[in-house]
Amino acid sequence: MQGVTILRKQRRWLLVFLLSVTVVLISIWVARSLLPAVPLGPQQTVYTRNPKMGIHTRLTDEVEEQKIKRSLEMVREMGAPWVVEYFPWAYIEDEPGRYNWVHADQVVAHASQQGLTLIARLGFVPQWARPKDTTPLYLDEKNFDDFAKFAALFAERYRGKVNYIILWNEPNLALEWGYAAPDAAKYTALLRAAYPLIKAAAPEVQVLAGALAPTLAPPGSEFGVNDLAFLQAMYDAGAAAYFDVLAIHAYGWHFDPDSPPDPAVVNFRRAELLREIMVKNGDAAKPAVITEGGWNDHPRWTRAVRPAQRITYTLRAYEIAQQEWPWLDALCLWVFRFPWDQNSYQDYFTFVRTDFEPKPIYTEVQRYARESTP
Amino acid sequence: MAGLALLIATSWGAWLLTAEQGAALLPFLRRDYTWQAIQERGVWRVGLDPSFPPFEMLDENGAPVGYDVDLAQALAATWGMRAEIVAVGFDSLPDTLKTGKIDSIVSAYPYDERLTQDFRFSTPYFDAGLRIAVPDDSPIRTLTDLTGRQVGVEWGSVGDMIGRRLQREGMIMTLKSFETPDQVISALLETQQVEAIFIDQVSLRQAQGAGLPLRGVDDPLESVPYVIVMPHRADTLQERIAGSLHLLQEHGVLSELEDRWFGARTLEEQNP
Repeated sequence: MQGVTILRKQRRWLLVFLLSVTVVLISIWVARSLLPAVPLGPQQTVYTRNPKMGIHTRLTDEVEEQKIKRSLEMVREMGAPWVVEYFPWAYIEDEPGRYNWVHADQVVAHASQQGLTLIARLGFVPQWARPKDTTPLYLDEKNFDDFAKFAALFAERYRGKVNYIILWNEPNLALEWGYAAPDAAKYTALLRAAYPLIKAAAPEVQVLAGALAPTLAPPGSEFGVNDLAFLQAMYDAGAAAYFDVLAIHAYGWHFDPDSPPDPAVVNFRRAELLREIMVKNGDAAKPAVITEGGWNDHPRWTRAVRPAQRITYTLRAYEIAQQEWPWLDALCLWVFRFPWDQNSYQDYFTFVRTDFEPKPIYTEVQRYARESTP
Repeated sequence: MAGLALLIATSWGAWLLTAEQGAALLPFLRRDYTWQAIQERGVWRVGLDPSFPPFEMLDENGAPVGYDVDLAQALAATWGMRAEIVAVGFDSLPDTLKTGKIDSIVSAYPYDERLTQDFRFSTPYFDAGLRIAVPDDSPIRTLTDLTGRQVGVEWGSVGDMIGRRLQREGMIMTLKSFETPDQVISALLETQQVEAIFIDQVSLRQAQGAGLPLRGVDDPLESVPYVIVMPHRADTLQERIAGSLHLLQEHGVLSELEDRWFGARTLEEQNP
């Protein structure tokens, strides 16, 4: 009998313990739900001498909201009014019709509060919208409408806060086209599917197309299609009616920003060759935006420059954008910061370290932006 | 009771499979297949990117040469084998190792704690981090000795970044920027525009090898240890490399390699 009593007492204590744990867990969950997220802070304005300055942030995998906010604060403090950010479709709609906007909401809200003009890049296909054994960069034509519907929902949700949307990234590379052969007509079909839906949802939103990788790939290359040829093929397929702004990638590699444009060279002024194709195809009235570009100062990457050259070239590039290219709305360089070190040459494209320590290029760009600030 | 016994047995088994001790107690449960394959073929396949002199580059015949090539051969020799060098792009090295096309990476590869779930690392064999360098007759011995002095950096470099950070943290010193590492060294040794410089250990060691009267003082301002990378399950290989590196260090082989590829150092480094 005594043994049974002890057992009952033990059970009672176990029950009390489990109940206590449950109450504590529920309290934590309720507190987390009720407590405000990272405060947005006051509405900010970007002060800069060059309103075309921009940068590509990389907040996609930044899980801490405080760091999202800090990144965008630092962009504003640097004097760049434009940011490009990636919003992967698969992260938001991982099942058909089921959406998780939490992270996207945070990025859009903080960018808006910092006074930044946000260009949203959409892509990255969820598993349900592509065949098995394909990469998230593969999309069949039969799923173009799914992507278009998502893009329109995005435009509608962030109406007034996101006025620029890029459709896909570097579709002229096999890697970015799901290892299928890059096809300008197929990409144009994607634009044709998404453009009217976005415009119906938010007519003021500017749709950006292209974002082509600068490449000298020869005809028939398995890696990709020459960007100049791909853009012309887009026009030939009727793409002009389905975008408002051309997105350009303008990397300098080891050339200075004043190296003249040449179809046989990848350099910063290759952007002018893309512009020529726009004009030739009757699209002179449309603006362009450089959504990636810049220089790298990795000590061993063959396309890198010295750190001092990177600073000089970057400042000159911002000047070219402002003084010489009236057709360009913004120059957004790659890349502000990564959430973690890539441990590759990519780390040497950044302006601040993962721990937010500003690199000298950040400080020098900030100094340039603040010179004679109105 | 039976359930409890089963739980304990399962936990112990899982621990054995994952812990180092497990390999010792039950070697058949966990075998270093990398080391086994190296032994069977008598060749250690080493991946490197021959584009980073003097650690690795191609000679006039297109053959890989450099500090890391010689280090790999010296290590393999301690096991009675030879190293076979496989040229791989730097960013592809980890994936090439994962797919088993090479046994190790010896390519001036910086230690990365984020990769410890995927790979094993050797102890560092070279620290390429940022140093304070001064003329050989300078009284400067430590970072704090730089207070009130002029310090040269390459504009935009890691040295520049850390110099600015030290200033933000309250250190009183004047930073002077120059566009290239050569100009930084010249400002120190020829024009005496600065009294110390922040420079990476590779550039410093190359300057010393060229006979310039420079020495590094104090600990690195930022450490960049180069390590050998191995597959995660290659615990025996890791032990072998650790033992051989120790041996090469003791016998002065690592110093010889430095002298061979950077030039002999005329002055001893001074740490506090």
